[in-house]
Amino acid sequence: MKKLPIQGRTLAMLAVVIPLLALFIYVGLRSGPLAPVAIMLATVESRAVTPALFGIGTLETRYTYKIGPTFAGRVQRLDVQVGDRVKAGQIFGEMDPVDLDDRVRSQNAAFKRAQAVLREAEARQTYAQTQANRYEKLFTARLTSEDIVTTRREELKIAEAGLSAAHEDLARTHADREGMVAQRNSLRLIAPADGVVAERYADPGTTIVAGQTVVEIIDPKSLWINVRFDQISASGLAKGLPARIVLRSRSGQTSQGRVLRVELKADAVTEEMLAKVVFDALPQPLPPIGELAEVTVDLAALPTMPAIPNAAIRRVGGRVGVWQIVNNDLRFTPVTLGAYDLAGFVQVREGLTSGDQVVIYSEKALTSHSRIDVVEKIPGVQQ
Amino acid sequence: MISLAGRDIMHAWGKFVFTGVGLGLLIGVTLSMAGIYRGMIDDAKVLLDNSSADLWVVQKDTLGPYAEPSSIYEDTWRSIRGMPGVARAANVTYLTMQVREGQRDVRAMITGITAGEPGTPGWPPYLVAGRQITRGHYEAVADIASGFRLGERLHIRRNHYTVVGLTRRMVSSGGDPMVFIPLKDAQEAQFLKDNDAILQQRRRSAANPAFNKPGSPGLLDAVIASQSSNAYVNAVLVQINAGYGVDEVAESIRRWKRLTVYTRSQMEEILVGKLIATSAKQIGMFLVILSIVSAAIVAFIIYTLTLGKIREIAVLKLIGTRNRTIAAMILQQALALGVIGFVVGKISATLFMAPIFPKYVLLEPLDSVIGFMVVMLICVLSSIIAIRAALKVDPAEAIG
Amino acid sequence: MIKKGIRIEALSKRYGKGDTAVYALKDVNMEVAPGEVVGLIGPSGSGKSTLLKCLGAVIEPTAGRMILGDETIYDDGWKVRDLRALRRDKIGFVFQAPYLIPFLDVTDNVALLPMLAGIANADARSKALELLTALDVQHRASAMPSQLSGGEQQRVAIARGLVNRPPVILADEPTAPLDSERAMAVIRILNDMARKFETAIIVVTHDEKIIPTFKRIYHIRDGVTYEEAGEGRGFE
Repeated sequence: MKKLPIQGRTLAMLAVVIPLLALFIYVGLRSGPLAPVAIMLATVESRAVTPALFGIGTLETRYTYKIGPTFAGRVQRLDVQVGDRVKAGQIFGEMDPVDLDDRVRSQNAAFKRAQAVLREAEARQTYAQTQANRYEKLFTARLTSEDIVTTRREELKIAEAGLSAAHEDLARTHADREGMVAQRNSLRLIAPADGVVAERYADPGTTIVAGQTVVEIIDPKSLWINVRFDQISASGLAKGLPARIVLRSRSGQTSQGRVLRVELKADAVTEEMLAKVVFDALPQPLPPIGELAEVTVDLAALPTMPAIPNAAIRRVGGRVGVWQIVNNDLRFTPVTLGAYDLAGFVQVREGLTSGDQVVIYSEKALTSHSRIDVVEKIPGVQQ
Repeated sequence: MISLAGRDIMHAWGKFVFTGVGLGLLIGVTLSMAGIYRGMIDDAKVLLDNSSADLWVVQKDTLGPYAEPSSIYEDTWRSIRGMPGVARAANVTYLTMQVREGQRDVRAMITGITAGEPGTPGWPPYLVAGRQITRGHYEAVADIASGFRLGERLHIRRNHYTVVGLTRRMVSSGGDPMVFIPLKDAQEAQFLKDNDAILQQRRRSAANPAFNKPGSPGLLDAVIASQSSNAYVNAVLVQINAGYGVDEVAESIRRWKRLTVYTRSQMEEILVGKLIATSAKQIGMFLVILSIVSAAIVAFIIYTLTLGKIREIAVLKLIGTRNRTIAAMILQQALALGVIGFVVGKISATLFMAPIFPKYVLLEPLDSVIGFMVVMLICVLSSIIAIRAALKVDPAEAIG
Repeated sequence: MIKKGIRIEALSKRYGKGDTAVYALKDVNMEVAPGEVVGLIGPSGSGKSTLLKCLGAVIEPTAGRMILGDETIYDDGWKVRDLRALRRDKIGFVFQAPYLIPFLDVTDNVALLPMLAGIANADARSKALELLTALDVQHRASAMPSQLSGGEQQRVAIARGLVNRPPVILADEPTAPLDSERAMAVIRILNDMARKFETAIIVVTHDEKIIPTFKRIYHIRDGVTYEEAGEGRGFE
């Protein structure tokens, strides 16, 4: 076997060189720009697409009572803290009345004085009446002169006028006193309805202007969500639709609700529609007002139609369509799309039928000249 | 006539291949360098491709949105949409920031895409997994280079986003992976930095007596509300109708809307010419240095191989071998070394080096061809020294 | 058949010029007939090496004549344009060490010369094989030089020297590294080959063991040769 050394060497060299060359060719053709584009296919299926709308909103209450004095003044006392429950009519605070109480007392005194004056006028009038009656009788008996009788009659009229004036004065002082009391009462902070104190803006001693809120009371039973839906994806939003609500603090926990109303006015700046969504059952404990909520409104399921995943949709040359494989060549098929659902399925109104294969994923943007390689999974995607 | 070079290589093929592999790794690094340079340019180009826009409308007199900050009102798109020749106009925001997922954070370019359907300018034009965004908030499509997976929850500024789709080769001009989120979220992310900053801002506003007048309750709330909303976007991406010239539409937007508009070619010039110019030069210098080092090493290897054979060369000369034959032997060996080196280099660059580089390495076939020619040229040039040494050998040295 | 053998007449090699001129060789005369093996003996620095190089057309003499076979190759200047071709075709070399090309196998080492001369590979190889057979190393034809013993290597080297059937073979200390038995074997081969191929062989040596084998010996001292008859035991 004298020939072996050179042959062995040749074989060994080939064993190195051939794989190297094979690798080189593989590398040249299968990677880099010349490599075929890995694609994944999906089958067009007939399915019922259930469109849904997704919006976010904040928890608000339907009724919020902002309570404050009608006059500028200083807060004298405030008995409630945030979270306290209040009943309708409950007095929970008061403004400093300053001299208002003194003025009420002065009005009381004036009233009493008016009463005294009235009593005096009544006494005078009674006396004058008696005198007048006696002299009328005496005059009838011709025991006195007509002159004296006339004097007595005049005295009676004066007494009656005095009485009338006293009556009016009493009524005036009474009204004055009532007004002062009403003013005094308006300094009290009174709950207009049952609710919970949500905010306390001022503490006793604070001077506030007329109309400034001292305490905010909300009615927790009237919680709703002010939801904003992007106008572009809000078609079909209507009153009464069921909604799923996820609060930011309780993600993973879905509450049921429904659309209470869709606002007539949309937000022109943010291009959003507004709607109010209420809970079917209030979550316990009550979520804080202002919390962010994600709301999904389910629309009615649409009749079954061919549908494709939205990842398959491409826009080529200004037309929306999908890539299909026809005779091992890529072909762009324009399609007309219908409704979407949130899981990413889109109805295809025209262009495809059930059972068609479309390119769903591709490693690169495709052109009709792309070399393709159909794979089960795009390389590099971690599951 | 037998091939002396071939026989010599066969005789010491182990040493030869080993040397070739060593050289190959060096060539691999050089090719990778060229690939990094191409990759940078490609990053810039795919950024433009992926936005699928014909025109970029940006803040007046800026190089935005990629090379310079740009902000325009978010409702500008409406008036642009009404311009003749405009088929589609879409707002877009770009912000490079850290995206957190669990313990990790990844530098990514957050792209805010306007609501709509796939194919809207700014949307990822293709996916490799998952689906496109369907909800108007808190969904994200991420590039696989970010390492995020489907279903993961990303933390961007104040909000959590669920990864619903994955893309590939969607990167910023700096090579950072892109994460697509709905425009409104992105606007908020751009503006509402973090809770603490918001709180500080509120406190600052409240401390400003102009905003917090005792006589006008509610003013402070209004001021804070206006402070914490962001009515700006970075650019409007425009697709034009067939039949209209890009420049013509760009000019009319420039003229009537008084905004700066860039066409695709202008944008490419900005990205390639301005944004990555310095880095490109840096890489170019590396390439030159590596080429010189490679040349020196090839020259040295060939020279050493030749010196090791000086006695044989003297004998060959003495027994009447022509100079041409000896020069051809050395040249062929140099070229063979170059070929082995190139093959190993190309393989190692493609299979081993390119994947481990954090940035995209694009090995263009044309670059490989040029690289091959340069390697061959370097081998020819560096074998000259060895050939000169071989030719200087005196055949008389073989005798006595 | 071309006439073989070598003759030199008044061959001189001078280094330097004028007063500083040094003669390495001075009017050397030498003649070796085809089939004859002569010895060339001299101490170091005697000009032995220079003579060999002149004979091998590696260095140029300064005066005299050299006639190889029937061709005058030097007559106060080279008469042959292509010295390499001359060396390849007309002169065989056998060295102290075999100096085989390590990356060629035995056959190709021998076949290289005809190949260099433009003979087709197959023909060159058959020619080589013929010689290897003549030298009884045909069984190692596919081996690499490093796999051969010293004696085998030297025989291959002789085969290489002979392959183009040159009129003259210059052997430079061909037996130096060998023990006396092997040295004698080499000399026997050289004698056989000289006869067989009608080649003149000049053996440069100072190996005492083989000196007695020569019929004629040229002594060289200070660039001058003296011819004397050897013991000429030969191997007839």
